[in-house]
Amino acid sequence: MNSKLKLGIFQAVLVCCLISCDDFVQDVEIVDEIAEDSEENFEPTDFVTGIYGMHTDFVYAFPYLGITDMISDNSDKGSSPGDTGADKNLLDGLTYTSTAPSIRDMWTQWYKTIGRASQAIEFTQLYEGQSSAPKERLIGEAKFLRALNYFWLVRAFGPVPIQSQDLVERAPVEEVYALIEQDLNDAIQALPIKSAYSSQDIGRATKGSAQGLLAKVYLYQEKWQEAADMANTVMTSGQYDLEPDYATVWRESTENGPESIFEIQARGDQPAHGVNQYSQVQGARGAEGWGWGFNTPSKNLEDAFNAEGDVIRRDATIIFAGETLWDGRQVNPAAANPRYNEKAYSSANAGQSDGDKNIRVLRFAEILLIRAEALNELGQSSAALTPLNRVRSRVNLPAVTTTDQGQLRRAIWKERRLELAMEHDRWFDLIRTGQAAEAMAADGKTFEERMTLFPIPNEQLLQTPEMTQNPGW
Amino acid sequence: MLFLSLFTFSLTAQETKTITGTVTDTRDVPLPGAELKVVDKENYTTTDFDGNFSLNVAVGDQIRITYLGFQTQTFSVTNDDTYTLVLQDQASELDEVVVVGYGNQKRSDITGAIVSVDSEEITKQPANNAIQSVQGKVAGVNIIANDAPGATPTVLMRGLGTAEGGRSPFYVVDGQPLTDIRSINPNDIESIDFLKGASYANIYGIRAANGVILITTKKGKKGKPVFSFESYYGAKTILNRVEMAGADDFITYFNEGQTSIGSFLLQPNQEFNTDWYDELLQTGLITNNSFSVSGASDNIDYFLSYNLFEEQGILEGQKFQRGTIRNNNTYHLFDDRVRIIQNLNIAYTNETPKPFGAFNRAYGQIPLVPVRYDNGRFGRPYVNTTTGIVTFEAAPGESVQVLNNAGNPVNDVFYADQQINTTTLQGQIAAEFDITDDLMLTTRFGATKSYATNRSFNDIRDQWLNADPRRTEEFFDLQRTDPDGDGIVSTEFANNSYAIRRTESYRWNVEGFLTYTKEFNKHNISATVGLSRENYQGGEFTYAQAYDVRPQRNLRNLGDQTSQLFQDIADGDTFQSTNLQSYFGRFEYNYDQRYYVRGVVRRDGTSDFFTGDNNQFGIFPAVSVGWTLTNEGFMDNTDFLDNLKLFAGWGQLGNQSVPFNIQQINSGSGSRNTNYVFGPAQSLIVGAALGSPARPISWEVTEEWEVGFDFALLNRRLSGTIDYYNRLNTNAILNVRPVRNSEFLNNFFDEAAEISNSGFEFLVNWQDNIGSDFSYNIGLNFSTNKNEVQNVKAAYDGAIGGSLNNGIITKRLKEGEPVFAWWMYETDGIWQSQDEIDNNASLGTAEPGHLRYVDQNDDGLIDDRDKTYQGSYIPTFNYGINLGVNYKSFDLSITGFGVGGNYVYNGLNSVYNIGNNIPQSMFENRWTPENGGNTIPGANRDNEASTFYLEKGDYFRINNLTLGYTLPEISIINNARLYVTLQNPFMFTQYSGFTPELNQDGDPTGTTGIELSAYPTTRSFIVGASFKL
Repeated sequence: MNSKLKLGIFQAVLVCCLISCDDFVQDVEIVDEIAEDSEENFEPTDFVTGIYGMHTDFVYAFPYLGITDMISDNSDKGSSPGDTGADKNLLDGLTYTSTAPSIRDMWTQWYKTIGRASQAIEFTQLYEGQSSAPKERLIGEAKFLRALNYFWLVRAFGPVPIQSQDLVERAPVEEVYALIEQDLNDAIQALPIKSAYSSQDIGRATKGSAQGLLAKVYLYQEKWQEAADMANTVMTSGQYDLEPDYATVWRESTENGPESIFEIQARGDQPAHGVNQYSQVQGARGAEGWGWGFNTPSKNLEDAFNAEGDVIRRDATIIFAGETLWDGRQVNPAAANPRYNEKAYSSANAGQSDGDKNIRVLRFAEILLIRAEALNELGQSSAALTPLNRVRSRVNLPAVTTTDQGQLRRAIWKERRLELAMEHDRWFDLIRTGQAAEAMAADGKTFEERMTLFPIPNEQLLQTPEMTQNPGW
Repeated sequence: MLFLSLFTFSLTAQETKTITGTVTDTRDVPLPGAELKVVDKENYTTTDFDGNFSLNVAVGDQIRITYLGFQTQTFSVTNDDTYTLVLQDQASELDEVVVVGYGNQKRSDITGAIVSVDSEEITKQPANNAIQSVQGKVAGVNIIANDAPGATPTVLMRGLGTAEGGRSPFYVVDGQPLTDIRSINPNDIESIDFLKGASYANIYGIRAANGVILITTKKGKKGKPVFSFESYYGAKTILNRVEMAGADDFITYFNEGQTSIGSFLLQPNQEFNTDWYDELLQTGLITNNSFSVSGASDNIDYFLSYNLFEEQGILEGQKFQRGTIRNNNTYHLFDDRVRIIQNLNIAYTNETPKPFGAFNRAYGQIPLVPVRYDNGRFGRPYVNTTTGIVTFEAAPGESVQVLNNAGNPVNDVFYADQQINTTTLQGQIAAEFDITDDLMLTTRFGATKSYATNRSFNDIRDQWLNADPRRTEEFFDLQRTDPDGDGIVSTEFANNSYAIRRTESYRWNVEGFLTYTKEFNKHNISATVGLSRENYQGGEFTYAQAYDVRPQRNLRNLGDQTSQLFQDIADGDTFQSTNLQSYFGRFEYNYDQRYYVRGVVRRDGTSDFFTGDNNQFGIFPAVSVGWTLTNEGFMDNTDFLDNLKLFAGWGQLGNQSVPFNIQQINSGSGSRNTNYVFGPAQSLIVGAALGSPARPISWEVTEEWEVGFDFALLNRRLSGTIDYYNRLNTNAILNVRPVRNSEFLNNFFDEAAEISNSGFEFLVNWQDNIGSDFSYNIGLNFSTNKNEVQNVKAAYDGAIGGSLNNGIITKRLKEGEPVFAWWMYETDGIWQSQDEIDNNASLGTAEPGHLRYVDQNDDGLIDDRDKTYQGSYIPTFNYGINLGVNYKSFDLSITGFGVGGNYVYNGLNSVYNIGNNIPQSMFENRWTPENGGNTIPGANRDNEASTFYLEKGDYFRINNLTLGYTLPEISIINNARLYVTLQNPFMFTQYSGFTPELNQDGDPTGTTGIELSAYPTTRSFIVGASFKL
């Protein structure tokens, strides 16, 4: 009986040990493989860098070219006839549909960038540690980038969902623009002027970047007075000027120079990091070539330069098969295509996947043209001539003298085309100014009214079937 | 319980007299038709309608009373002339003890759907694990077998209730959680209880949502030692082989395809006509030997067994070997008031797997390629496009191409050189202590330790040479000398690599519970309270790989390398273990075995959900009620009905094997979209971005209710259970692909839907005798399952699955459909002409001879919006048939299993490219430009997923056909039996591939239900013998 008692006690003890408490579940040695990835190891500037980084993705090297340039009269698909570039033939031929991957990719990219910006803003606001950069400035940069991406979205798709509000319901264009203006005004408040940045911060969004973009945003909304004023603010800021030689405007030597208002940064030295394959996609194709030969300047564009007698900008914009480039490179006369985009050409990293090409998103010449266009629309045609002719005089073209509003409007639009050719703006300029149908007809293509806006990508609608499609798609 | 009174008197006389009496059951109900037979004499009688009998006997005669469903009784005739005989119910029926987790319950007291399978039924169907043996025997449990050596079947109890989480039932052996069912020798199993319903399964709380399987192993029984031997030998062949096109048909087909795309043609009459399946497949072999000794004395029960199972698969060199040793002892101390129970199981396996990909490679590779060329190299699909001959040889100016990427399946099997050894030690010590007659304390400690070693050898040199018959050793050797002088030799040119991965894992559990049982008046009470602690999933691995080791198997050594050209690899880490703390309580009450109430509650806390403070612990309640109508007085006159019990239950179950969310922060060096360039020197600055949101997720909670009834009638000849269940996973976790315009890039998990499963289950058995020599039984079970995803959060459905690995997907998750239902184009004949394509909605890539797809939304385009949901691979019903016949010393049993309402996808046909072989069925009646045809596409067809490849998955298979003969007792050998078994002798299916029973790993998001590289169902012929001493 004694040993029975012992056993009973043993069991009782065992049970008591078990009862002790719930702590057992916390009593594991956590093997944490992700500790090094926890948020504690990051600070706000890292997440802001992550927003900028989104602009270096391959989508800006190919799909983006499709929906801005190839689709327009400025350029053709290029490459070999059989190489569709996924859907570039459809964009070039205006036969694209809602399933075009290029449209889907840009839609997604812009929204994901907006997401990163919002996350970075939230993280920065909540961040309590020591930030290596002023938090206000970082938030300003994030807001600029968010505004830039919303601007790209709204001009491509019209009413779009505001990510922070609803992923299905499409906000009216005015609301989206109001959001963009709000972000840009905040950014203008928060950001330093270009010269106030220390040198290691070259490349970040500045007060001028936000002002310049805001001028363009006003222009798209035909808020002429605001556009003219904002452009003037940039012009009188003392931070910007035209490069003397147009030919260098897209070369490495002028990166972040006086004319630069905002550009996507790239480095060609190892470890290289630029807009992935941007120069390669648009490089000359075939023997002795260095690229895929997509997005080739059109005959239509060449003719437009010639009609204007605009030799400087023609030769700075177009690489002709057989020519010798400024850096001595010989282009094979038998290259697959007669013309290539010279603005995409990188001398040091021509055919490499990561190159040194900084993509000029906004430069001073465009601010001058925004000012000119806005003033003309406000009826101040003679005042508009000054900024317009400043652009023309750089490339040795005679001054425009007409003060007829209609004629001047045409002149400014033409100037935009030639000055900003192959800079990923043409299609939206055509839509904005209502020239699309006429220009496409001249280019041998049929513009349909529905093309005023791109279709909402099919894959988005599969996920959110309640979202409405744009008219006609 | 009541029992028969026996009167034993000394024999005094041999005079004959007539005795009379009645035979009743324990409730005084007369039993008509009971047989009374005088032992060793010819006179017998049966009872009349009122249970009365009269019989001529002599005093001292032994009289045996038999009545189906009751225990046979024998009594001696005394001087009395009238007898009242009370027969007891057969123990296997209602007094049978059912293991219900932390205790047992009598079968007659169960108020839920529990199915028990006993040892005889398990061993009748030889297999390396017991679960495979019970396929088709348990209603509502869908066992998807896999005939690969050493494979584990997929088990779905009452449907698939989760999309991303754990899908396996929770296995418990003798109260101890079990990691791998394969470590248990089927011969050691006494019974398996399937706790299907929530009201019983919920005692295992957070791990019970996929059902609970309780395994009880054998114990020694009172009496002299019993030595048992069992051996069987078998041969396995593939059950259903698809007939592939031969050389001539392939050439015709290929040339049609090439003509349509304007490419080179093949010459007729080529050298080789390889039947790849002939070359690949062999007859598999199974050998199984078991031995056990068991017995019991007053103080000790003992059971000791040894088993060795060996199987050679149908691929050359494919082998699985398993040995188990089990020792179960129980020590009865202090007049049996204390019992110490000790179990030990040692299982070791030795496995040489071979790649299942060989099956689909044999499907795709063409007959014109030889297994080996004359130079000894393995054949490859090289074709001389100038001459149109399938060869790698070419004269100058001729060009050689590769026809397809199907590879050489024989090569793959030949070079697969992998050896996996595992050892699992599982032990448990338990003590049961009767504190009073009514109160018992049980404590248990169990632990499992597993070791696995995986050695793989890769003969890189030989495989490189064999990848292209034109390659030379000289070139290979040259590459090893670093010809470009960069100091690096690619590992592509290592002679070989050898890797060893060792894994150790452990788990342990401690538990204690008190059980109180009391009967007073007609009240029966039983209550259990207890707690348990468990630690599992812990472990560690080490991995090392070296290049250029000695190739001979016995000289392979990571430290003994023939060159130092390459970097070795070493890795190792620990696995996070999980702590589980649980409390449970159970209360059972019945009044007079008529009214039953039962309540169970389990509280589980798990360290896996450590971060979300509030959801560390979950409470899982359950209740059930029962009513045995046949024990009511008013039912006394319903003679045909022997048992009728209604039951209903409700409960909650958890599934904690769900994926976790980790806050992903994407960051890293180099060119990536989280980095950017700043500054005058354009420095690369490393940035970061959130990859996915970390949604707070918890375990899945499944809520279930069931109603049903058990019945027995016609003198217990017909018995069964019929029930209805409805279970709902209330917070199913889905892998959410972020909406395109949302902020996140990477997929994440979130509680996003409900998944419901409902259906009926029927289990019916009929057993009867015809005369004393012939008895038979028929068991039928049938169950239905309706699986549906419900209440998906907005924009969260649409997760895709079923990738065919060529960019084509076949499944999608959608509200209102089964989990990951088929999603594809619906086919509508074949495009006959370009004209027809141009004038109708068509894919941009459509050509004559391609399948034509239905424009479901009539928008003139064929795109994703035209893809429709086409059912599921999950059967909507399954059924089993068991037939047993005993005639004298012969026994025959037949088991069949079938499923229906499901669809399977013929991935083998779907992932075709021009240059692959085709089955004969795709060749016959195909579309050709000359003859048209509107059912089977032409040789040039597209790769889209469509209903053309989706076939009905219904099948019925005879699982097992066994004929046995029991030898008469000779001297010390009793119970010797010889038997012949045919496994899977027949399968009835309309499916055109190898097998519609597609196991894979059961992952609904993966290729489950798609035949791509599935191991085919095999047929076996087995002979065996068992005897006891």
